[in-house]
Amino acid sequence: MGRQQLQRTFYGLVSIGGIIALWVYLTGSGRVTPIILPPPADVLEGAIDIYRGYLSVPWYEHFRASLVVMLTGYFSAIAVGVPIGVAIAWWRPLEVVLSPLLAVLRPIPPPAWIPLAILWFGIGLAGKAFIVFVAAVVPCIMNSYLAIKETPQELLVSARTLGASQRTLLFEVALPSGLPAIMTGLRIALGTSWATIVAAELVVSLAGFGFLIMNGYRNLESQIVMVGMIAVAVIGFLMNWAFLLIERRLVPWRETDD
Amino acid sequence: MMRAAADCGHAAVDLQPPGDCGARAVAGFRVALGSRSIVMTNDLEYENVVMEFRGRGATVRALDTFNFHVAESEFVVVVGPSGCGKSTLLHMTAGLMHPTAGRVMLGGSIITDPGPDKAIVFQNFSLFPWKSVRSNIDFGLRINGMPPAERNELIDRYIKLIGLDGFENHYPRQLSGGMQQRVAIARSFVMRPRVLLMDEPFAALDAQNRQLMQEELVRIWSAQRPTVMFITHSVEEAVFLADRIVVISRRPGRVKKVLDVTAVAGASHWRMDPFEDVIRRPDFQELRAEIWGLVKSEIQLRS
Ligand SMILES: Nc1ncnc2c1ncn2[C@@H]1O[C@H](COP(=O)(O)OP(=O)(O)OP(=O)(O)O)[C@@H](O)[C@H]1O
Ligand SMILES: [Mg+2]
Repeated sequence: MGRQQLQRTFYGLVSIGGIIALWVYLTGSGRVTPIILPPPADVLEGAIDIYRGYLSVPWYEHFRASLVVMLTGYFSAIAVGVPIGVAIAWWRPLEVVLSPLLAVLRPIPPPAWIPLAILWFGIGLAGKAFIVFVAAVVPCIMNSYLAIKETPQELLVSARTLGASQRTLLFEVALPSGLPAIMTGLRIALGTSWATIVAAELVVSLAGFGFLIMNGYRNLESQIVMVGMIAVAVIGFLMNWAFLLIERRLVPWRETDD
Repeated sequence: MMRAAADCGHAAVDLQPPGDCGARAVAGFRVALGSRSIVMTNDLEYENVVMEFRGRGATVRALDTFNFHVAESEFVVVVGPSGCGKSTLLHMTAGLMHPTAGRVMLGGSIITDPGPDKAIVFQNFSLFPWKSVRSNIDFGLRINGMPPAERNELIDRYIKLIGLDGFENHYPRQLSGGMQQRVAIARSFVMRPRVLLMDEPFAALDAQNRQLMQEELVRIWSAQRPTVMFITHSVEEAVFLADRIVVISRRPGRVKKVLDVTAVAGASHWRMDPFEDVIRRPDFQELRAEIWGLVKSEIQLRS
């Protein structure tokens, strides 16, 4: 960990600490009612409520519900999106056929799929995973597509003059060359997946963080809403961080210092 | 005998029949390690070569009735004003482009495809950034199916030859420009190419590195002696390295003049001597001035 990174961590902590201090100040001074912004102590109580089984849902159910759905949708999006992106970038005819379709589907925001997803797949795992899938598959396709398209021409030419076949060019030049960009796509998709599952749970769910936020709102329990939001933020942050660690492992030639 | 051998080489490039001439690259190795010169010649023949690029509306004629012959194991340097078609010429020789008219032949066979018998080295090194030095050099050998034991031995030899022992497992970005270009050169030479095509290979290096690399290239080249087509904008570099220099006219490129350096450079050729000594020779300077005059007249004609 270099000096620069220490500095960044420091400033990060300062800004988060500042927000918390402001929160404590505003709620403590009595200027805002707890319903608008509950004080930290109430939020802690909310967390304890949830831990004890808020609305008779065991606390771990929220994690399980949100994560299972998200990961199902996310990994199906990778499995489908990356090959599609790579394929349309590599085979011109496929690009001509598929890209107009993608261009038309892409502007539909993922939450707009919720009604159809429920009609098609029900309110269980499949329906919600489908919504996540729709959201996450877009960055998977787009980034894989760009990653392959932007393979430096001179690398392909060098490989060809060394005797590479089309297959070798794809698997040993274009794919490794595009791997960093593909990984970026997967990381964006991870964030999108997480945001989307929470949105989907706002509409239909029996557990999960979206469920907590929505029910806290309906019952005018702002502290429950806050706990849900904080949990979403922390989990999202941790997932992104874990992904960066994996990425550094997979793309070692990208490291900036030795 | 030579004709038959050349036809065989052509068939191998064209169709890659199994067994017949052997898989192209493997045949290349065997042939090279054995006695290559008996099997095929490595001369280049440019016969009325025309190259046009069709853009929107306008057609650019890059090369026009270009005629030239490069003997086997000859070191030819190509100079000429920017945009005169030098790179185009090299790409055609590598089989990456095909002439609009005329023929480009290697050992009597028309060049159809790129392949490991026609190695190319670019100005920007073009190493695979995700591969170590070792794997970069290995790439061509591996994809052409050479057995691992043989490969390892060859790679070790070439890493030593370019003075990069200890750097085998470094990634390209961990190396200086000169070191990267050494790797690129090793990656080409390890394939035992019949022709080596170099497009301003040292243009991105500083003067010191450039000089070192020139001497190093001569050393590696002398051991293997592939036919070389070398492009440069440096007239000094051309005079130092070349057996013959081709000056190409401004676009559309044609052969303006061919200069025989060997006649001046002596029996053992001055490229075997240190650059800083050679550059002080009056006959070197005379030739340099003559070529610079030819190139300059082409540049000035343009404006
Ligand atoms: N793929 C291409 N499509 C269209 N025009 C091209 C293409 N490649 C080259 N040209 C044109 O052909 C002419 C010759 O280009 P080339 O790159 O061979 O020149 P060069 O002699 O290598 O120049 P330089 O010394 O600047 O590298 C130029 O006018 C260039 O614009
Ligand atoms: Mg050029």
